Parts: sequence; C-alpha cells; structure tokens
Amino acid sequence: MFKHDPTTTSTVEIILDGQTIAVPGEMNVAAALLAIGKIISRISPTSEKPCSPHCLMGVCFECLMEIDGVRRQACMTPIRDGMVINRNLKDIQRGQS
Amino acid sequence: MSSHYDTIVIGAGPAGLTAGSCLAEFGLKVLILDEQNRIGGQIYRNVENASEENLQKMGEEYRRGLKLSERFRKSGAEYLGNASVWNVEPEGRVCYSKDGVSERITANYIILATGAMERPIPIPGWTLPGVMGAGAVNGLSKDADLCPSGTVVLAGSGPLLLLEAALLIEKKVKIAAILETTPKIPSPAVLTHVLKALLGTAFLWKGVKMILDIRKSGVPHYKGVTNLKALGETAVTGVEADCGSKKLNFSAEMLLLHFGVIPDSHIYRLLGCHMKWDQNQRYWYPSTDEWGRTNFEKIFGAGDGTGVSGALAAEFKGELAALEVTRCFGIIPEYERDRLAGPVLDALKKDSYPRPLVDAFFAPDPKRFTFDDATVLCRCENVTVGDVRNIVSQGVTDLNEVKAMKRCGMGPCQGRMCGPALGEIVAAELDTSIARAGLLTIRPPLKQIPLQEIAAMDIVSDGVDPANLFKNQSKKADH
Repeated sequence: MFKHDPTTTSTVEIILDGQTIAVPGEMNVAAALLAIGKIISRISPTSEKPCSPHCLMGVCFECLMEIDGVRRQACMTPIRDGMVINRNLKDIQRGQS
Repeated sequence: MSSHYDTIVIGAGPAGLTAGSCLAEFGLKVLILDEQNRIGGQIYRNVENASEENLQKMGEEYRRGLKLSERFRKSGAEYLGNASVWNVEPEGRVCYSKDGVSERITANYIILATGAMERPIPIPGWTLPGVMGAGAVNGLSKDADLCPSGTVVLAGSGPLLLLEAALLIEKKVKIAAILETTPKIPSPAVLTHVLKALLGTAFLWKGVKMILDIRKSGVPHYKGVTNLKALGETAVTGVEADCGSKKLNFSAEMLLLHFGVIPDSHIYRLLGCHMKWDQNQRYWYPSTDEWGRTNFEKIFGAGDGTGVSGALAAEFKGELAALEVTRCFGIIPEYERDRLAGPVLDALKKDSYPRPLVDAFFAPDPKRFTFDDATVLCRCENVTVGDVRNIVSQGVTDLNEVKAMKRCGMGPCQGRMCGPALGEIVAAELDTSIARAGLLTIRPPLKQIPLQEIAAMDIVSDGVDPANLFKNQSKKADH
C-alpha cells in the first residue's frame, strides 16, 4: 500500500506479533509498519473488524497497539530497536466470521 | 527539567514555536511540550531533518519551517518531545506523560497551541482499512518518506485536498479520481470575497497553479459529488459516489478523505474555556481576546486551535500571545508591546485577505452531509448514525445524554472523531442549532494513561489533592 525509499533511513529489528522483523527506523511505529506493508493495526474490540491507522496525528486512536506491554498510539510512538509490539490480531478470524 | 516555568507552551507547530521563541528571547523560562518527538507540528512535520528533495516538493511554505526552527533553537526555549499532555488546570498546572512516567508541572502562564485536525465526516465504509485522511498521507511523506503505491481515490473538499492531489500527481502515484464534494458553481457568497482576495495574489496564484497541474495530469476530477461510499469487506477495494445523475465507481486500494480542518479543541473544553460556534465553517473555537487570552487569566490560545487561519497567521498569533504574556510579567510596558505588535498585526491582516474567499468557496454545507442510518458514526464504540437518531427520537436532547446512553464518544478517542458529526446529527434531528445541541464534556485524562502512572506520581500538596485531577472542571465555569 505504501512504498518506502530504504536508502533514506536506517533499519531496526523489532518483535512484531512474536516474530523478529526488520523495519525502517527514525519514524513512528505506525509509519514503520505501513512501510513494510502491515496496514492492519488492531482488531476493533467493538466491531471485531480490522482497523488501519486513519489520522496518523494522534486523533483517531485506530492505531492503538500493545507496545512494550502498554497500549499506545503507534503513530505517536517512535520506533526503537528491540521493541516488542503485539497487534493481537488472532481475533481476526472471529471478526470475519 | 524543572517543575515550574514562567510559561508552558503546548504544541510545537508554527504558533507554539513562535510563542516559545519570542518568550525565551525576552529571557523568560519557557518549556514547549510536544506530543510528537520532533518540532514542526503538522505543517512543518520533520522539517529539521527533511531531505532537499522533500523540501523542494513541499514548496516554499514548508521550507519556512526551517526559519522557525532556527529561531527556536537560538532562543533558549526548552523542548520536551513525546510528551502527551493529559490535564491542564486554569491555575496553571499541567500533567503530561512521557516514556511511561507522568509528571505535574506548573507555570505562571500557559499558551495552548494545539493546532487543527482534519474534520471527520462519517461516510459508509470509512472504518475499512485503507481509508485514511489526506493529511495523514501528507504527514507520512514528510515524516517517513512513505508514498502510496497502489491506486488511490481522493475525496472531500478544501484546499488541502487539492494540494495533496497535486503532490501525489507529482510523485506519479496512480490516482483513479478526485471527488470533490464542493459544488461546481460557487455560491453568491463567494463572489463578494473575490476583490479582497485579489490583494493576496501570491496565495491565489499558488491555488491556480495547483488546479492547472491537476487538470494537466488528466486525472478524472469530479465536482459536486454526493453519496460517497468506500467499498470492501476487510479492506478498501473501491469507491462509489454520485455526480449529478451519474453513478461513479472506481477500483482503489486507498481512499484519502479530507473535509477541511477544524480546531483541536479538547484542551480548551477540558479547561472550561468559553467556546463559540462558527456558523460558516461549522466548528467550535475558544473565545479569546486580541492577544489570545481565554476567559482564564493564565490560559492563552494561539494558532489554528483558536480558529483555522493557516500557518502564517498561526505564527503571528503565537507572537502576539507571547508579547502580551511578556507584558504581564512586567518585562515590557504596554506601549512597547503595542509597538512590537504593530507590524505583526499588519502582517496578520494582510495574510487574512484571501481567506474569506477560500473559506466561502469551501464552506461546509450541512445540506450536503448525507449521514445514512447504517453508517458508523462512533468508530471506537461502533455506534451508527441510526442508533443516535433512534435515541434522539426517544426524547434525548443533549450530546452528553446520547453519549451516556449509546456510548457514542466514550471510546479511546474521546469523541474526537464522532463529536463534530454527532453535533450536526443531533441538531438536525431536533431541528435546533448546533450551539443548542451542545458539546461533549471533556474530562482528564485527555489521552489514556495506565493508572499505575498516576499512582506513581509525586504530587506536592498545594491545595489540590490527587483525586481532584479528574474533577469535571467545565462544571465549575460559569457558562
């Protein structure tokens, strides 16, 4: 959905949903995940449908993720090497059923 | 880090940076709290680290941010990024959270420079992954060099929609269509502003060039579009709309929405600042005097948060608020404040010439908002327009009552995304004014924080006990 010029930033390693993965650094968590094609940010607890970041400026709270154990706005959190991020997408099946 | 400042500025966009710089230049101890981790706000996002390529693409307007950052870096004002302010009290206390720790600090004066946000207009399918704000994509490009790779539809109204369209065209992004909800034939109200706007020709030229660029690109561009709808099951696959009697349908992986910008008013409302309703632009803004002072002596507002008038005007308003605060400290006398404010006021006036034209041209028309019963209004709590209409038909007359009964506006975003449309819907259902329908009450914390952060706070007893951090301040204010 997005393309990113990899020459412009360094790379960091994070653990996303239990898997080690390389993402671009020097940006916020939401942007770094969009850069590698991870557009789903969470499953809405009310509609049980997948969400993606909408405003990317701290207003909509659609990018809430569990970042290092705390639910945070991914668009307001700078990405850091070694971050543990859980989107808790396992509910996605239930959401789609 | 100190626990008391002469002035705390909240926000590091054009207004906040200018106010902070000006105050520090007068020798005052200033802290700028910013929710982002880099200065610039939305308009000058990441400007200090921007590549020459980005600076060129975003144009002279973006480059101006470098001037502000240079002034700010020289000024001696302190900056704290990644700090989410979650409470402000009229007496001059501010609570913020940074890196999992909350602090409460105080100041003699507080300047709120929270800026603006994109006006959220619910349309069918707007909760689908792939529906984003046009401003969001603009920010991604400044912040992270990200550019949409699939087919995009841009829809909505306002100069920023066309600006983003022109930028994406330049970047060779595949745009299926631009769908403007702005009517094709400008209303007579627009024409009365044309003469005045000609005085600000540089601004107008830019607009004309932008529209010519879009036309040259051959991207289908429709005006007067209604019944916008994002299609898809688990992500956007297309966009549907009506244009006159014509049915439009486009395949797309992304739908970028933009319906103009409105003041980000949550802090003002939390404080209990008197709010006013702008009938033409259809947004709430805090009532301030010519210097930006709210109804609270220690609380000032500056920039688009006090009414949307653009980045340059935000700078000027930041400077004016800072000059008045400096006078309040007794550092400059009144005549000196007025002397220094003179050229700023002139510049502010000059900058405002084209605005009535732009405002009138893109003025949101409530008759064109087609809120379908099935459309999700509150994204957080999954409340539909129909749910709200239903409860209103049962006798509910106040937004906060709707919230209490339907949870509309009670989720994590605290009504930021549904509040404006909720007001429109309730007022329309009751056939009353928006001002009558009221506003959602805002309480601390403005942003969610873990309770353990509050428990760990070191709160000095100064007449306000910790439990009162969450009192409803707006009920105290007389309005």
